[in-house]
Amino acid sequence: MAEVTLVEAINLALARAMQEDERVVVLGEDVGADGGVFRATAGLLQRFGPERVVDTPLAELLISGLCVGMAAQGLRPVGEIQFMGFLYPCIDQLVNHASRLRNRTQGRLTCPMVLRTPCGAGIRAPEHHSEHTEAMLAHIPGLRVVIPSSPERAYGLLLAAIRDPDPVVFLEPTRLYRSAKGEVDDDGQALPLDVAFVLREGRDVTLVAWGAILKETLAAAEELAADGIGAEVIDLATLKPYDEATVLASVAKTGRCVIVHEAARTAGFGAEIAATIAERGLTSLLAPVVRVTGYDTIIPLPRLEQHYMPSPARIAAAARRVCEFA
Amino acid sequence: MADADLPVVARFEVRRRAYLSADGRTIAPLPELAADPAALIALYRAMVLTRTFDLKAVSLQRTGRLGTYAVSLGQEAVSVGVASAMRQEDALLPSYRDNGTLLWRGVRMEEILLYWGGDERGNRSSGPAHDFPFCVPVGSQAPHAAGVAYAFKYRREPRVAVCLLGDGATSKGDVYEAMNFAGVHALPLVFVVNNNQWAISVPLKLQTAARTLAQKAIAAGFTGEQVDGNDVIAVRAAMDEAMAHARAGKGPRLVEAVTYRLGDHTTADDAARYRPPEEVKAHWKEEPIARLRSHLVARKAWGKAEEEELAADCQARVEAAVERYLATPPRAPETMFDHLYADLPAAYAGQRAEVAGGSHG
Amino acid sequence: MRQFLLPDLGEGLEEAEIVAWHVTEGDHVVADQPLVSVETDKAVVEVPSPQSGRIARLFGAKGDIVKVGAPLVEFAEGPQADTGTVVGDLGEREEKERHAPPAPEPGLARPRGVLPAVRALARKLEVDLALVHGTGPDGTITRADVERAARSLTEAGPAEALRGMRRAMAQRMTAAHAEVVPATVTEEADIGAWAQGEDVTIRLVRAIAAACKAGPSLNAWYNAAAGERRLVARVDIGIAVDTEGGLIVPVLRNVAEREARDLRAGLDRMRADAAARSIPPEELRGATITLSNFGMIGGRFANLVIVPPQVAIVGAGRIAPRVVAHEGAPAVRRVLPLSLTFDHRVVTGGEAARFLMALKADLERPA
Repeated sequence: MAEVTLVEAINLALARAMQEDERVVVLGEDVGADGGVFRATAGLLQRFGPERVVDTPLAELLISGLCVGMAAQGLRPVGEIQFMGFLYPCIDQLVNHASRLRNRTQGRLTCPMVLRTPCGAGIRAPEHHSEHTEAMLAHIPGLRVVIPSSPERAYGLLLAAIRDPDPVVFLEPTRLYRSAKGEVDDDGQALPLDVAFVLREGRDVTLVAWGAILKETLAAAEELAADGIGAEVIDLATLKPYDEATVLASVAKTGRCVIVHEAARTAGFGAEIAATIAERGLTSLLAPVVRVTGYDTIIPLPRLEQHYMPSPARIAAAARRVCEFA
Repeated sequence: MADADLPVVARFEVRRRAYLSADGRTIAPLPELAADPAALIALYRAMVLTRTFDLKAVSLQRTGRLGTYAVSLGQEAVSVGVASAMRQEDALLPSYRDNGTLLWRGVRMEEILLYWGGDERGNRSSGPAHDFPFCVPVGSQAPHAAGVAYAFKYRREPRVAVCLLGDGATSKGDVYEAMNFAGVHALPLVFVVNNNQWAISVPLKLQTAARTLAQKAIAAGFTGEQVDGNDVIAVRAAMDEAMAHARAGKGPRLVEAVTYRLGDHTTADDAARYRPPEEVKAHWKEEPIARLRSHLVARKAWGKAEEEELAADCQARVEAAVERYLATPPRAPETMFDHLYADLPAAYAGQRAEVAGGSHG
Repeated sequence: MRQFLLPDLGEGLEEAEIVAWHVTEGDHVVADQPLVSVETDKAVVEVPSPQSGRIARLFGAKGDIVKVGAPLVEFAEGPQADTGTVVGDLGEREEKERHAPPAPEPGLARPRGVLPAVRALARKLEVDLALVHGTGPDGTITRADVERAARSLTEAGPAEALRGMRRAMAQRMTAAHAEVVPATVTEEADIGAWAQGEDVTIRLVRAIAAACKAGPSLNAWYNAAAGERRLVARVDIGIAVDTEGGLIVPVLRNVAEREARDLRAGLDRMRADAAARSIPPEELRGATITLSNFGMIGGRFANLVIVPPQVAIVGAGRIAPRVVAHEGAPAVRRVLPLSLTFDHRVVTGGEAARFLMALKADLERPA
């Protein structure tokens, strides 16, 4: 067991996967000699060689398309897109091919690829480096979308993603890369996909979140506890498909739900969860389902960034409002 | 210093290959593959079958028994020439106008009809399991081809990926990105540009300012050759050379086959809206099947009896395939969930049950 | 050129056999495009298209013999219809969007805005939300409100469904309330002149009959739906009788024409039958006006309930000594309070007042 950061946990998982399965190939810009701009792939080139750790040309569409071709041929490619802001040229390959290959060939060809990319704001980065547009990916049938919130879950979920026979987009919260630390046992054990993690139990209100904002959500839960309000905190981890059962069971217990996401409000993934609760958990509700989200603006540059992000105070205030509703 | 005095740091050339003129006369020494007429007859038979199938598919669409269909009239030499140069273990990544290639590699006619008729089972395909299905987003198969070729190289397999593209595709970034990567890694990958001179209604001169499409390979660091795409001997010879080069680990090649799209873009298109009939009429004089027939007849290797027998045989095979296609019942609707993931996630089981129970729609 | 005929194939040949068509009906072809392969004695030849255009019809099938000069192909006149697409089928023009008429009122029943969890709790505790007072924002019902209502209900005793007479009364009164426009006028009759032991009910009944003569519009039936009023000549008084099971109103018929003794006998029989619950249904129908002698139990004045199609009801309160002005000086006199509730849709205040004064005058007579 070692205490590692989230990005170190990613590195451990990649190394473990490559060691166990020679079909695993890592590719992307600067992943080889530089070890990745965030050092997620540090040491892999030295250990596994240039055929398995490929420094690609500057071409995101190519990276995602290469993954499709390699995966169809039975390799297990793990492509890196340097920032989620540069993921968009890959949408064609993800939507038109990766998510569809198994279906359109009726299982003759499949696409066991992983596309990793850092997401989210909070590192005081220039424009386009703070994206969190998971909702557009969660909309695509045939894809999986996974986002860890801790080193332990990063390790276990990335291993699961690499071993999964279908395409996975693996979003890594940039601002947790160095700041999140945890004990990780490099034992090759995967965590289950499609399953949510209850990080904290409570009887009064359910808080659902994913990614870096879980930090603020857990802080809000502490604040609420001081006021005698027991918040249950759920980390969805896999957004598509997400663990509806765990969320509904929690709402049945508490009767109140606040969904927290950094991404912009309209058509954000929180809307999907709220719709499911309205459809299948209505009689449990004691108050409306409320979302605490980023605003429907372009995420501002660093000087205003903190006004955009959901803070513990905003989250706790929303939780109090639903608790006092009726 | 005047421009003309500056030292030249790179100079490139693009060669053009052709053996038969439009009326079938030999204009250059024939390659070895053309020595035995039997080999050419095999190509001829395949081209005629392709055209017979193609025309029948159009007729099915016109009578409401097939959906939109992409006609490959006039391109039979490219399709058949390319396919005949490939081994079964090579991988094909086609566009959507390459039926001749698919048929040569073992895809059944009824599977092609099932695909255009709106049933995914058409892509299950009796051809090689590693071949890719039709690619509709133009050029997006090029990066796949690079990935496939990379896997071949990675596993040290003597296999080649063949990526069939149209002239329009060469304007797409995907294609350049793939060619560029293939060049860097010397991948076993042959790009075949089927230059039929039209991308729906956009003619070649609006597609690119480049004198040839073959020269686009030069920017990616490898050789591109132009070939008369209506001369199946030329296509085959160019492919043999390119495949051998790639298979030997010497890197990718690009073959630009210049032909003409004698039909409409699809059965829903009417090309008369944007191109003059006189132009098409002129190109009919260059079409590949008549050309090879003239050559074979001149070599006394083909005659009327053979032509009749071939026509009858092709008709019969096409009819039989059409029967099988028309007799194929549709899938049960809930099967739309069955190849979404390896195992359908619990989150969607309810939807599948709803469709299976008939309470949908 | 519309039809293309099989051209002269040369060498004196007169006919040829169709080997294979290369085009289909509907295709657009260009000049020189091969249309068909035909077989002659000498060879299989391709027949090229003479023009560009769209094939409307093919003549002959594979294997048919076509004579030179016979029609082979017919070209369509006029330009090709534009499909408007390169893939799929856009279909014919649909009808213009029709705007749906506005939804008729009142639509489905809309329950009050109560949170689903609260509603579910109410169901579970068997609390009727209509009886719960909401203390939440905007008067919404909270969980605590439901729980409080449940507690008070358990203290209140079990809910009993109304049956029989009580149920009938609830239904009848509800219907009456929905329809009638009641107005009440009151008086007091000084019955100091009455002899000892006078039969109060019979005096009231005979007084009503007399008042009906003075105010016949109060002895009537009103059919609101038809907008029709029927003045009834005979006075059949419904007598409100309080029984163990509830209120029933048997009818004392033709009061104006009967002797007091006969009326009393009828009343007694009525009461006995009511107590025994053996009143036949026809005895409960057809009253033209009703008397409620609630004063036998207690109370002075009342706004009573008129049951359609009647238009009036008389209420007699408890007889009691009162201080009144009598012949110019205060005196203690026995007073019978009178209430007349009338349906103001068909009875005027004047008619009611005249009726009431006649009623009072008859009651104030010594006998």
